[in-house]
Amino acid sequence: MRLNEHPILNFQKRRGKKIKIYFEGQPLDAYEGETIAMALHAAGIRVLSYSGEKHRPRGLFCAIGKCSSCLVKVNGIPNVRSCITLVEDGMRIERQQGKEEIPKTVKPPQWKDAIKVEGDVVIIGGGPAGLMAAINAAKAGAKVVLIDENPMLGGQLVKQTHKFFGKREQFAGVRGVKIAEILIEQAEKNENIELYTETSAIGIFQENDRKLVVAIRKNKELVEFWGKAIVVATGAMEKMIPFENNDLPGIYGAGAIQTLMNTYGVKPADRVLIVGAGNVGLILAYQLLQAGVEVKAIIEAMPKVGGYFVHAAKVRRLGIPILTRHTILRAEGKEKVERAIVAQLDENWKPIPGTEKVFDVDVIALAVGLRPSIELLHQAGCQIAYIRELSGHVVRRDARMETTIKGIFVAGDAAGIEEATTAMLEGKIAGISAALYSGKSNISWLKEIEKTQKELTEFRSGPFGKHVLEGIKKVMVGEINE
Amino acid sequence: MKSEAKTVIIGGGIIGLAIAYNLAKMGEEDIVVLEKGYLGNGSTFRCGSGIRQQFGDEANIQMMKRSVELWSGLKEELGMDVEFRQTGYLFLLYDEEELESFKKNVALQNKFGVPSRIISPEDAKELVPPLNTEGIIGAAWNHTDGKANPFKAVFAYANAAKKLGVEIYEYTKAEDIKVENSEIKSVITDKGEIKTRRVINAANAWAKLLNAKLGIDIPIEPYKHQSVKTEPIKPGQIEPMVISFKHDGVYLTQEAEQGGIIGGYGLKYGPTYDITPTYEFLRGVSYRFTQIIPSLKYVNVIRIWGGYYAETPDGNAAIGKINEINEYYIAAGFSGHGFMLAPVVGEMMAELIVNGKTKKPLWFYDPYRFERGELRGKAIQMG
Repeated sequence: MRLNEHPILNFQKRRGKKIKIYFEGQPLDAYEGETIAMALHAAGIRVLSYSGEKHRPRGLFCAIGKCSSCLVKVNGIPNVRSCITLVEDGMRIERQQGKEEIPKTVKPPQWKDAIKVEGDVVIIGGGPAGLMAAINAAKAGAKVVLIDENPMLGGQLVKQTHKFFGKREQFAGVRGVKIAEILIEQAEKNENIELYTETSAIGIFQENDRKLVVAIRKNKELVEFWGKAIVVATGAMEKMIPFENNDLPGIYGAGAIQTLMNTYGVKPADRVLIVGAGNVGLILAYQLLQAGVEVKAIIEAMPKVGGYFVHAAKVRRLGIPILTRHTILRAEGKEKVERAIVAQLDENWKPIPGTEKVFDVDVIALAVGLRPSIELLHQAGCQIAYIRELSGHVVRRDARMETTIKGIFVAGDAAGIEEATTAMLEGKIAGISAALYSGKSNISWLKEIEKTQKELTEFRSGPFGKHVLEGIKKVMVGEINE
Repeated sequence: MKSEAKTVIIGGGIIGLAIAYNLAKMGEEDIVVLEKGYLGNGSTFRCGSGIRQQFGDEANIQMMKRSVELWSGLKEELGMDVEFRQTGYLFLLYDEEELESFKKNVALQNKFGVPSRIISPEDAKELVPPLNTEGIIGAAWNHTDGKANPFKAVFAYANAAKKLGVEIYEYTKAEDIKVENSEIKSVITDKGEIKTRRVINAANAWAKLLNAKLGIDIPIEPYKHQSVKTEPIKPGQIEPMVISFKHDGVYLTQEAEQGGIIGGYGLKYGPTYDITPTYEFLRGVSYRFTQIIPSLKYVNVIRIWGGYYAETPDGNAAIGKINEINEYYIAAGFSGHGFMLAPVVGEMMAELIVNGKTKKPLWFYDPYRFERGELRGKAIQMG
């Protein structure tokens, strides 16, 4: 089902031309500009594949190309990530049955030199950190190339309908979706920035004094992005928690639900249970209400709500119960989620027998945290450390966001899980630092870096920043610029 | 760590471990294996996993024939499935000259009981359904060749050796060997000294560094080779190891269980101890893979890594006793064939050490052949 009424977003305006796609031979309506997974979900299709060993049904999980839970066969080709592949008129889509065969008779590809794109700074990831890095690196004098594997820029900002906190210059009071529009427009208008969407970076190589980002575009086209410096702003990936049947279609990461309803205007569910009462879980609850979805409850294993008080108060005012000290025991349903069984936890984190509650829901939202997407940084050879406060493995870096490999910078959630405002500030620092490294900027820009570092420190000075600051202290290399 | 041992083997790759296991199996006691990193990290875990008998000389054919017999029984012998599968080796042939030389090899292989034969392009396509047969005039095929899982093979040998009393010390680097009057006194490691009178240098890419400490010069140099692995597709589509010399020695096969495609080609750098993967390889291997199996263009590469071919001038290992120092042995310089040869080399070395002789063609791998200028015919180095 598609959303047509929404208090904040206008999907009628966003949708492209109506086209026909075929799923398992059946024709379906889709709109240009939406991904395969979104079009299928709108048509009520939850099961995208069956697992190879036990033939269990599988569906979406992350919806941003990171988890590979949504693989389908498209026009006979297996392993297509349906969540980031746009629909095309006449496309034939089939459910994937475990590991699939490749075609037996195909002409060898005509091999020509890969397309070469040159810049001073190559940025991987077009979310808040990447866009800010691009805009500021360009301002500081560098020629910038930004690539993103999603069909649209803005990262997770495009699905944030809530207003941001902080200072005015940090977009306080502006909705995330609007911030995305502002940043994308700035990047598009800047003639020193080239933007490539639907372009997946697959590797970083050092070739003499230059850096090379190898990427794949549609139809497996190889593209070389050459630069002096690289900013990796690849964001984060949703965590999964273990419980019985946690692979049932309809168990979605919180971000996937936001992608469905806020990016593509697809109603994600009729009734939802949210697991996790951090900011993401709380914000998701009232975003679901905006989309006309019933939220049965939010459950949280910790003794108290993890997110901001204002968010929790708003959710409670709207009549959604928040059950702390509760966990999910299992999901039930035949081919997709039909209900969730939860129970109360004792002080040793063991479920208390007799406290089970059943929620009749068709989607279970997991808002149980994120982990940094460091794969490319790891491949490039950057030093990695496990930092609990930053939610997982992160790269070691200095105060200018430079990693242990000179000329490779990191920003945003890829540097440690935090939030969009700090991602933007880090992006700005990384962008200017990368421009300086490329030799296309001048040292007067150091002042701007220092100013932004101060802003970051101020933003992190609250109780929520304390934890992150401890993590950053552990991950830092070299001298800390105060 | 022990302070004294009867035998110290330097190198915890599959060669060192196979030697340790076979020595213990023949009743030798008090054996120590030293590995400077974790087991298998040097070359074994980085290898292309192929096992073949299609060589062009008598010694390697005989050795590999025995090795395949041993590989076939490893599951029972070592008590762990090392995923040895006889899925065959398929050499694609594109011109008459190539065909003629492979016909000669096949005749020689047949003489020693290896059932290789020349087959038609159509038969090759039947063996590997997504194969591009354009330009192929024939193929050399042996169905008793195959592949195994390098990770499991290393652990299988290590565990079986431990059960027989062998002590294995990982993260323990052999830094020097103390020798007095041509007699070994001890091995100095970064964790302490181990008194011993017998040392086996199975350090492959690092063998020459140990030799140099003893003033011994056997030409073994480390070259960087690389491999890729793709995302999994349905297993069984590319069962044999497929090789094309026309495409610079490209080789590829599909993992028996997981279904990823593994392979590489002849691009090498060196001598060097740097094994950072290169874009030149990634691009080169993508091109060559898709020329012989075009539908691989739809399959994503998920991993790329570098490793060593510890090469000698003729591409054959240096195996045997070192004359200048009593009880100093070498089994190194495998030039890309160490994994497939490991079971038979383990057996041969144990025979040599325990019995003082072996019926296997040890002469062929004589470490002194280089200084005498008696190079062997260059062994086929791919896969």
